[in-house]
Amino acid sequence: MYLLSFLILFPLVTAFILLFLKNDKVRAIAITSAAVILSAGSIALLIINFHREAQYFSLEVPYIDKAIFFIETLLAGYIFYMGWKYKKYIISGLILAQFLITAVFETRYRHNIMVDHVLFVDKFSIIMTLIIGVIGSLICVYAIGYMKDYHSQHNKALKDNRRFFSFLMFVFLSAMFGIVFSNNLLWLYFFWEITTLSSFLLIGYNKTQEASNNAFKALEFNLLGGLAFLIGIIYLYRFYGVVELDKAVYLGKLGALVPVALISFAGLTKSAQMPFSSWLLGAMVAPTPVSALLHSSTMVKAGVYVILRFASVLQGSMLGFIIALIGGSTFLITSLIAISQNDAKKALAYSTIANLGLIVLCAGVGTYEAMWAAMLLIIFHAVTKCLLFLCVGAIEHRIHSRDIEDMSGLIISMPKISIMMQIGMVGMFLAPFGMLISKWAVLKALVDFNPLLAVFVIFGSSATLFFWVKWLGKIITVVNTEQDLEEGMSKIETIPLFILAFLTVGLCGLFPFVSTALIQPYVMEIYGTTLTMSQGNIVIMSIMLAMVMLFPLSFINYGKRVKVVDAYLGGANIETGTRFRGASGSIKNMAMKNYYMEKYFGEKKLYRFGILFCFIFMVFMFMVLVK
Amino acid sequence: MHYDGTSCNGCDIEVLASLAPRYDVERLGVINTGNPKHADIFLITGSMNDQNREVVQNIYEQMPDPKVVMAIGICATSGGIFSECYNVLGGVNKVLPVDIYVPGCAARPESIIDGVVKALKILEDKKHKLIEMKLGREAFVIEPATIEDAAEILALQKLAYQSEAELYNDFAFPPLMQTLPELKEDFKTVTFFKAVINGVIIGSVRGRMKDDTCYVYRRIVHPMYQNLGIGKKLMNDIEFHFGFASRFEVFTGHKSKRNINFYERLGYKMFKCEKVNDKRHRVYLEKSADRI
Amino acid sequence: MKIFLMIIAYIIFAPILGAVLSGLDRRVTARMQGRVGPPILQPLYDVLKLMQKDSLVVRRSQNFYIAFFLMFIIFTGALFFSGKDLLLVIFALTLAEIFFVLGGYKASSPYSIIGSQRAMIQMMAYEPIVILAAVGMYMVTKSFYITDIISYNKPLCYYLPGLLFAFIYILTMKFSKSPFDLAYSHHAHQELVKGMTTEFSGRSLAMIEVAHWYENILLLGFVWLFFANNILIGVALTLLVYFFTILVDNTFARVKWEMALLSTWIVGLVFGVGNIIVLFFVKR
Repeated sequence: MYLLSFLILFPLVTAFILLFLKNDKVRAIAITSAAVILSAGSIALLIINFHREAQYFSLEVPYIDKAIFFIETLLAGYIFYMGWKYKKYIISGLILAQFLITAVFETRYRHNIMVDHVLFVDKFSIIMTLIIGVIGSLICVYAIGYMKDYHSQHNKALKDNRRFFSFLMFVFLSAMFGIVFSNNLLWLYFFWEITTLSSFLLIGYNKTQEASNNAFKALEFNLLGGLAFLIGIIYLYRFYGVVELDKAVYLGKLGALVPVALISFAGLTKSAQMPFSSWLLGAMVAPTPVSALLHSSTMVKAGVYVILRFASVLQGSMLGFIIALIGGSTFLITSLIAISQNDAKKALAYSTIANLGLIVLCAGVGTYEAMWAAMLLIIFHAVTKCLLFLCVGAIEHRIHSRDIEDMSGLIISMPKISIMMQIGMVGMFLAPFGMLISKWAVLKALVDFNPLLAVFVIFGSSATLFFWVKWLGKIITVVNTEQDLEEGMSKIETIPLFILAFLTVGLCGLFPFVSTALIQPYVMEIYGTTLTMSQGNIVIMSIMLAMVMLFPLSFINYGKRVKVVDAYLGGANIETGTRFRGASGSIKNMAMKNYYMEKYFGEKKLYRFGILFCFIFMVFMFMVLVK
Repeated sequence: MHYDGTSCNGCDIEVLASLAPRYDVERLGVINTGNPKHADIFLITGSMNDQNREVVQNIYEQMPDPKVVMAIGICATSGGIFSECYNVLGGVNKVLPVDIYVPGCAARPESIIDGVVKALKILEDKKHKLIEMKLGREAFVIEPATIEDAAEILALQKLAYQSEAELYNDFAFPPLMQTLPELKEDFKTVTFFKAVINGVIIGSVRGRMKDDTCYVYRRIVHPMYQNLGIGKKLMNDIEFHFGFASRFEVFTGHKSKRNINFYERLGYKMFKCEKVNDKRHRVYLEKSADRI
Repeated sequence: MKIFLMIIAYIIFAPILGAVLSGLDRRVTARMQGRVGPPILQPLYDVLKLMQKDSLVVRRSQNFYIAFFLMFIIFTGALFFSGKDLLLVIFALTLAEIFFVLGGYKASSPYSIIGSQRAMIQMMAYEPIVILAAVGMYMVTKSFYITDIISYNKPLCYYLPGLLFAFIYILTMKFSKSPFDLAYSHHAHQELVKGMTTEFSGRSLAMIEVAHWYENILLLGFVWLFFANNILIGVALTLLVYFFTILVDNTFARVKWEMALLSTWIVGLVFGVGNIIVLFFVKR
C-alpha cells in the first residue's frame, strides 16, 4: 500500500526536481537513479504480491478529493486558454463541457459519495507496473542521450527545453502508475486526463506548426474520450450509486452496460482505434522517446487496459461483439496500410494501432482464452515495440533519415543496432517469438468463440508478415561497402537497447514462467478457469528458439570456402560490381527498392474505408445502448 | 547458359529448336537457365566484339567450376564471314578458353546436341580433375625455383594478379607488365620459391636481402588453390630461408584487405602508406625477426 | 517410439520421394509438351552434380540463411509427420520460408530481391488460406493436433469442400507453378532470371533443391489430411491433386502479382470463409 503510493508519488517528486536541475550531467545522473529506483520498486511490487490475491486499499487522506478537483480546474483553465488562443474551439468546448460537468458533480454529490477502496493491486496491475516501471524507466534513460543529440544535431534553433521534457516524462510515469492502481474511477479519470495533457505537451515539443497541429488533434480526440469517460462515471453514480472500478465490473456483469460502453469508448480513443487513429499517426512528429513511451508502450496501453478490465462484462454481449469488430477491422486495415508506408515511424505507428486492435478484439470477445491472449499481447508488444522505436530513433540520428529505403546496408554500417532491430522485428511476427505466441493464442481463443472474427486476424497477420520481412530484408541487403556509423554512440543510449533486446529474447524463452506466474493467476481469479499452452508445444517452441539462436553462431566460420563474385546484372557488371554498363556505354548504379503498393494499400484509400467501417460500428454500439 | 554475341540469331533459333519437342535436349538432362551461377555449359553464338568482350568475361567468371564453353556456329568459332570486319575481334576463343566448337551456319540442332554430349563428357573429365586436385592438395611441395621455371612463374603471376588489377582498375600494374627477360634478370639477385603439385607450379614467392632487411614480394597462388594455406607455407619457408635477417618487409595495395589481414595474422604490422598513382596506394608492413 | 520412427522415416525417405515426384513432374510436363523429357531421377543427378560445384557468393553470409532454411524445413516436416499441432507446423513452415526469403535479400542483387519480394507477396496471398484450412479442420475435429485430425471418422473433404478447393488453388503457388509462379520458378527466367535463387550456386543451390523436396512432401501431406480417413485412397487422391497441379501448370499462363494476390484472397474469402461460415451455423 505504501509501495503503491511511493510508485505514484516518487516520479512526481522526481519530475519537479528535474524541472529545476540546470546542469545536464547532474540531471542525467538523477534520471538514471530515478529509473533504477522505479524499476526496483516495480520488481519489488511483483515479489511482494507474487502469491497474493488482489488487494484493495482505502485511503484516508483529508481534502485529497478537493486537491484533485483544484488541480483539475487549473489544468482545465490552461487547456481552455490554449484552445482559445490557437482558435481550436472544439477543444475549448470539450474542456468546458468536462469542467462544467465535473464542477456540478463535485458540488452536488461530493459529500454523498462513499468510496470503499481507492487503490488496489492485482496481477494485471503488476504486469502493467512492470511495463511502466521497467520499460518506461529504460526509455527515460535512453532519452537522455537521444535528446542531447536531438538538440545538438537537428534543431539548433529550438530552445533547449530538456528540463521540461524530463519533467513531463516523469509526470507521465506517475500518472500511469495512478491509472493502474486506482480503484476510484474519479481518480482514474484524473490521471487519465493528466496523461492526455502530457501527451499534448510532449507532441508539441519542437513547436513547429506541424507539431502543434498534431498536438491539438491528439488533444481533441483524447478529450472526447475523456468526456465520454466522465459521462460514464456520472451515469454510474446516478443510476447505481458507485464510483469504483471493481463495483462497476460487478454491476456490469449484472447488466449495467452503459457506463461500460462509455468507458470503453474512452479506451478506444486513447488507443487510437479507428476512426480515431489519426492522432497517433500525427503524434509521430514527436521525438522518438515520446513515441516509444506514450504512443506504443504505455499510454495507449492504458486505453486497452480499461477495456480489458471490463472484458468479463463484455463476454457474450452484443456490445462486446461490436467492440471486437472495431478492434478486428482496425487490425486488418492498419496492417494493410502499413505495407505502403516507407516512413519508419509511421509504419511502426500503424503496426502499433494494429496490435492494439488485436488486444481490443480479445477484450471484446472476453472469454478466458481471449484474456490470456490479450495479456500476452500486452507484455510482448510493449517490450518489442519499444525496442523497435528506440532503435529507429538511434538510426534516424545517424543516417539522418526516417525512410526505410535509406536503411539498406545497415548491417554493415551499424551492426549492433541493426542486430537489435532485427531481433525486435523478428519478435513481432515470427515463431517462436513472443508476438507469434500471442497471435496463436488469439487464434485459438477465436476459433472456439466465433471463427468469423478469426478471419480478421488471419488476413491481417499475413499483411504484417509482408511489411516486416520487407523491412528486415532491407536492413541486411548490402550494396556498397558502408562506413561505420556507430562511432560515438553513447553508452546511455545503447544500454537500454541491449536490455530491451535481451528482454525480447529472454521473455519468449521464459514465456511459460510468465504465463504461470502472472497471467494464469489473474485469469483464474476473474474466470475461475484458465488456459495454458500444452507441455509438448512448449518443448517444441523451446527447440525452435534454440535453433534460431544458433543463427548468430554460424558467423564464426564466416564464409571461408566460398568465392566472392558479383551479382548477376546480365553480364554488364563493371568495376566494383554494383555498377553496370547501361545504354550508350553510360555507367549506372544498381538500385533496389521495396514494393510499397501505394495503389492498393495506400493510406488515403484504405484509411477512408476503415473510418467508414468503424464509424458504422460505433453507431451500432450506441444503438445497442439506447435499447 | 546461352549468350548471343553478334549473332544474326540463326544459331540462336537452332539452339531454341534443340530445346523444342522435335529434338529435345532435356532428355539428356540439360535445361536452359538464364543465370550463370546455375550453369555448367556456356553456349555462345555469334562472334566477339569490343562491347561484348567484357560481358562474356563477366558471365564466364560468374559461372562456378567446373564449366565448359561451347562455341555454336561458325561466327563463334572463328568469326565466320564477318571475321575481317573492323569491329569483329573474332571467335570466342579470342576471349575465353573454348572447349567445343560446333561450326555451321546455322549449326543444326543435331550438331548442337552432338556438341552438348561431347561437352558433357569434357565436363565429367574436368570434374574428376578438380576432385583429384582437391584431394591431391595435401601433397604440395615447396622448393627453391630455378631459372627454368621463369616462364611458368610469369604465366602464373599474370593470372594471379588479375584480381588485384581489377580491384584497382589498373591493368598497367607492374606484375602484369613484367616481361620474361626482366623476370630472368631477377633470378640473379632474388631468391625464388615455388609451390608444386604434380609437377605443376601453383604458387611462388620471392625475397631479396638488403642491409638487414629481407624484402618479400610477389607472393602468388593460383586462383584455384587459394585459401588452402599454400601462401602461408610459402611465407614461412622464405622467412626460414632468410633466417639471418633481423627484419622483414612486405607491401600490398591499400584496398587489398585480405592480403593485409593475411600479413597481420603472420605478425606483420603496418608502418607506412605511400601513393603510387591516382588509383593505388601502397601499404607497407614489417616484422622483426624475433617474432617468427 | 513410433514418433521417433516416423521422424527418421521422414528425414530419410522424404527427399527421395520428393526427388522422384519432382522428376515425374518434369517427365509428365515434357510428355504433355510432346517431348521425351529427362530421366525420372534427374533431380537427384542434378543435386549430386551441384554438390561438386564451386560455391560462388555475392555476400559471404548468404549461404547461412539457406542452411537454416533447410534445417527448419526438415524440422517442420518432422513436426508434421509426428502428429503435432497443425498451427505450429504452419508457423514453423513460415519461419523456414522466411529464412529463404532473407537469403534472397542478403544476396543483394536486383533479381534476388525482386524474387524475395514477390515470394513475400505470394506468402501474403496463401497464408490466410492455409491457416483457414487448419481452422476448418479444427472446427470439424475439435482439435488442432494432426493425430486427431487423421483419426477422425470421416474424410474431411466432406465437410471442407470449399477449403479444399481454395487449398488446391494456392497449391500451384506453393509449388511455384503457373499461373502463380511469380517468384522463383524455372519458367519465369526471362523476366526474373532465377528470382531468389539467382545468386546461389553449388552446395547452397543443392540445399535449396533438397529443401524444396522436403517441402513438397510436407505440402502433399497437408493435402492428404483432407482425405486422411483411408490411407491408400488418401495417398492416391493426393497424387491425383499433384498431377492436377502439373496439368494446370502446363495449361495456364503466368498472371501478374495483383491478379494473384486479389484472386487468391477472393477465393479465400468466398470459398474458405464461406465454408467456415456454413460449418459454423451447421455445428451450432
